[in-house]
Amino acid sequence: MVHALEQIRRLLRPGGILIDIHPVQEAPLTEVHQRGRVLFAEPSQAYDYDEDIHQAERALARCVRRRLFVRERGQEFDFLTYGSSVLELRDFLDEANSFHESSIDEADEAREAEFYNRVEGIMKAAGEGVEVAVHERARIARLTPVP
Amino acid sequence: MPVQVDPENNEIRALFEMADFSGQQVLEIGCGDGRLTWRYAAKAAHVTAIDPYSAGISKARQNLPSDLRGRVEFHHQPFEDFAEASGPSVYDVVILSWSLC
Repeated sequence: MVHALEQIRRLLRPGGILIDIHPVQEAPLTEVHQRGRVLFAEPSQAYDYDEDIHQAERALARCVRRRLFVRERGQEFDFLTYGSSVLELRDFLDEANSFHESSIDEADEAREAEFYNRVEGIMKAAGEGVEVAVHERARIARLTPVP
Repeated sequence: MPVQVDPENNEIRALFEMADFSGQQVLEIGCGDGRLTWRYAAKAAHVTAIDPYSAGISKARQNLPSDLRGRVEFHHQPFEDFAEASGPSVYDVVILSWSLC
């Protein structure tokens, strides 16, 4: 990762900037929404990106320490993906994350299935106008290369 | 209803608070299906968007809005290979789009 950041520095023109966007190191929430109200919110099951995010944070910190980049500013924001059903949302997320080598075992899968059954039950009970969402928290930062 | 990604536009709002894309040469690393690319590309002079996963790049190429043709190019390539083949000092803005981790 540090090598990638060194390469980015080489590709940037003088005065150029690097924008990094990545999720924060906590499990996203699975939420059920109905007409603007949040009926249910719990950490998503089978979340296994922790180590990847930790490594990314470490690589960025190392580059700042080595004075390759200066972190000018940053902020966090909410990033939500909505589906009309659990199945629709899960299919979408599976495709979007198909590059990620999951380390989920059978026990995790069973917990995940039970969790989504529960979410579906809450959606059915709530009636019309209900949506399911994955609510991630993300971090964006602006960095400039040190000449 | 199709899946909606960030309908609140929180991501693009945060991105525009970090960078002015007007007339800029942009490299986006980890563009996926171009979801974020479309949102800022009209402001940029040119966008090079890369991703190592073919499914996303195929979708991005298919869905490229006609008004962005000639302004956005997609490469199905890992960043390491792309960087090795690129000369220095090419881009004004590089975006690591959910791709460092």
